[in-house]
Amino acid sequence: MKRLKGIQVANGYAVGKAAIVSRPRLQISRKQIGPDEIEQELQRFQDSLDKVKAELNLLIDDYAHSRDNRDILTTHKLILEDPEFIANITTLIRKELLSLEQALHQHFTEVIDLFRNMENSYYAEKSSDFEDVAYRLLSYLTNQGRDYLSGLSEGAIVITENVTPSGVARFFGRGVKGIVAASGSRNSHSAIIARSMNLPFVARVANVLETVSPGDELILDGYRGEIILDPDEATRSEYRKLLVRETEYHEKLLSLRDKPAVTSDGHQIRLMSNIELPLEVEQVLANKSEGIGLFRTEFLFLEREELPDENEQYEIYKKIAEQMYPEPVIIRTIDVGGDKLSRILNIEHELNPNLGCRGIRISLGHIPIFKNQIRAILRAGVRENVKIMFPMIASCAEIIQVKRIVRECVQELRDKSINCAENIKLGAMVEIPSAAINSFALARECDFLSIGTNDLIQYTLAVDRDNQSVEKYYIPHHPAVLKLIRMSAENAHKNGIKLAVCGEMASQSLYVPLLIGLGVDELSVSPGLLLEIKELIRSISYTACRELADKALELVCHDSVLEFLKKKD
Amino acid sequence: MIRKTIVIENKLGMHARPATMIVKAATKYRSEFRIRKGDAEINGKSIMGVMTLAAEYNSELELIADGVDEEYLIEEIAGLFASKFGEE
Repeated sequence: MKRLKGIQVANGYAVGKAAIVSRPRLQISRKQIGPDEIEQELQRFQDSLDKVKAELNLLIDDYAHSRDNRDILTTHKLILEDPEFIANITTLIRKELLSLEQALHQHFTEVIDLFRNMENSYYAEKSSDFEDVAYRLLSYLTNQGRDYLSGLSEGAIVITENVTPSGVARFFGRGVKGIVAASGSRNSHSAIIARSMNLPFVARVANVLETVSPGDELILDGYRGEIILDPDEATRSEYRKLLVRETEYHEKLLSLRDKPAVTSDGHQIRLMSNIELPLEVEQVLANKSEGIGLFRTEFLFLEREELPDENEQYEIYKKIAEQMYPEPVIIRTIDVGGDKLSRILNIEHELNPNLGCRGIRISLGHIPIFKNQIRAILRAGVRENVKIMFPMIASCAEIIQVKRIVRECVQELRDKSINCAENIKLGAMVEIPSAAINSFALARECDFLSIGTNDLIQYTLAVDRDNQSVEKYYIPHHPAVLKLIRMSAENAHKNGIKLAVCGEMASQSLYVPLLIGLGVDELSVSPGLLLEIKELIRSISYTACRELADKALELVCHDSVLEFLKKKD
Repeated sequence: MIRKTIVIENKLGMHARPATMIVKAATKYRSEFRIRKGDAEINGKSIMGVMTLAAEYNSELELIADGVDEEYLIEEIAGLFASKFGEE
């Protein structure tokens, strides 16, 4: 028995057999040919090009929904049609009597090296396009490494170097029980997908590919972020019990799908989901969430070479709005720091990006980009279940400016006779203390408010979330934070609008009763945690939540708040 | 033979998508097409060639077309550069 430690990415247990999923190294058996084989080799070259091009065409159809993927595949096709490439391979076969496989290997190794040695790292990355094409050709010719997922049996635990977001979805579709990766991180898109699908996932397990062999008995503990290789009988039966308990718990939660999120004394909470990727909508629908309380749109803008235009955004927003109809979808306009977009936008390097040009400040500094996004959302909202939310609002002036821009966008669409949600509902994120303190005026201008707790805590307590040396100063239950939440709730209600919380606090069971007691009307949580939070809400009484919050607000010190919350828990 | 000098005006330079657009456009014509940047000259119908130019924002390129439809080829390619490949 051996324990291998990684990092926790998606919770859950899995007991099963390991299946190694990797792009295998291809063996080239024959390097030279005889002079009489030249014509035959050239014919094979032509055939392989045709075959792989046909494969790419099929993929291009499959990927039609994403322009980036389509562009990549089109580039790959051009690589196959490249006259210099064809001429070079022909010469290598004719003049040097290399086998087709050897010629391809030699050609692509040179091209890939050429790119890798480029000074500009952006171009250097492009070697991966040539690697992909070379792999497709050689894998076809050697009949190795084709569809390396086909051997995957249901119930297997996948061991892999790294996994792409679509890879997670494919594994899930094939019924695997869990994923173990040698690299990866908690914040990747793959991680988000795994969590929303409740697929246990442990990442960054060092040397896992060297240590585990196909078919090895394995236990995956997603909570601890570790795997146990060749478990002994005692460990195995311990985990079997945990697994049974987990399954029973899940079944119990599933039975809550159709029940409302209402406290024992009849106080109704609207329970919605946060999503980051369109793929997650499946899970949101499966759990019967009462809408999407936060659709982060950053994925559309990051890790790509150019910004998405209005139509591309419209297609994505429209699809989500239709899938969720009639439940509401709150789309948040782009919320990233300038550092992440500096490749595309001309933004000066900032010493302190958290206090710099991010969120609404980026949008207001790049009106054409902002308007593209607004128009796309307005068009997607024709059935009136879409709302817009603006991040990093510090003052009322910004909301007033944003409202004017939205009106301009409506007019622009009207001028072109394009249908859109002319009376779309607009809301502000409350995540800067000034917004909470000034929430009465803000609520007067908005149709709803939503607290982003992560940033509200960071800015109220002056603690950088990503700085581990100040971790202990990041205190969600700090009385100052609680007062800001209560103040925002009261001011929202005075203006007849709702207050939501879409930050991490809403997903933490310790804090849910407190938030409800502070006056929060709506909670938006990760799709995978929705039913757990619903179960909790159904088990508490609103009167007790109010008492809890009132008492917590009276406490001076955050330690006593925590003690108090834990006692009640 | 026609030669035309152009300057790359799109901020991102000649990344994969513009390179793909150039090669797709050029291969429609029968004329030979080469692109020159400094001392390097490559086949403009080769995606590998165009990408290895690694031409960045503000760099100067010479387009060289030779053949029956050379004028049309240059016109279309120069048009792509002028439109900044539809970016921004």
